[in-house]
Amino acid sequence: GDGRSSSRTSNDLIAYKNINDVPPPRDLMIQVDQRNEAILIPLYGSMVPFHVATVKTVSSQADTSRNCYIRIIFNVPGTPFSSHDPNALKNQTDIFLKEVSFRSKDPRHISEIVQQIKTLRRNVVSRESERAERAS
Amino acid sequence: MADGHSFNNISLGGRGGTNPGQLKVHSGGVLWKKQGGGKAVELDKSDISGLTWMKVPRSNQLAVRTKDGLKYKFTGFRDQDVISLTNFFQNTCGLTTEEKQLSVSGKNWGEVDLNGNMLSFNVGQKQAFEISLADVSQTQLQGKTDVILEFHVDDTTGANEKDSLMEISFHIPTNNTQFVGDENRP
Repeated sequence: GDGRSSSRTSNDLIAYKNINDVPPPRDLMIQVDQRNEAILIPLYGSMVPFHVATVKTVSSQADTSRNCYIRIIFNVPGTPFSSHDPNALKNQTDIFLKEVSFRSKDPRHISEIVQQIKTLRRNVVSRESERAERAS
Repeated sequence: MADGHSFNNISLGGRGGTNPGQLKVHSGGVLWKKQGGGKAVELDKSDISGLTWMKVPRSNQLAVRTKDGLKYKFTGFRDQDVISLTNFFQNTCGLTTEEKQLSVSGKNWGEVDLNGNMLSFNVGQKQAFEISLADVSQTQLQGKTDVILEFHVDDTTGANEKDSLMEISFHIPTNNTQFVGDENRP
């Protein structure tokens, strides 16, 4: 809440500036941090943040044995995604995390997370494209 | 104990999440015991090939790398523990500790570093996350640029995380020369 949303430009969407801003892990499950526009993913006992603007799609799926799966696909170069994304040109040799897939014991939690990510992503993308339009 | 330091509430991180326990650091090495018994990790100082501190949210993490390529990550140290343990490792065990930084910027692009069994994803010299290749059951190449890693499904090791990683994939641009022609690449 330091007015950073107006001072930030779209090419430096940062989830957290400080390590201690990352919220404490909640049961080592996927979390959405609305305020910092971040998705936190449990990898090997740590919560790893990704800014929602790096997400391309998110989907879930259930199987017959009460298991639930969530798939998060991230933006990578060479696929059509939001035109204001500056990474494709800037980081040509960088390796991208493209996709993560999780199995969950809690289908309700997964459907909530999918909805939260979709809504947050839509809001951030529309805000960023408005800003890009204003700037041009 | 007279010889060394003992810490409660130190969790060992791994594939299935974290387990709380007690860590003892003594002149002969490192011993971690799971709370309530069960799993223990005993590392002799002659087996240790590296020690790394990393600041993590609200805590500090000690990574112990062994000569056979394994890595154990202990979390729950206060800032003052880091100072006293760094001195103890140096003066009593003759082991030097390094420091590593954690990336929390939320970017999904960076570099991949392979060290022993560990694959580390780094964003701007800082580590975003690490996965153990020992847990990978299958790797697939998709097209020319994508590498998919599939993980073992293990319900037996007392996993305490609610959401478990099944699959992760990386996009490696064709002009990245780091892994060209390496058949052993995961």
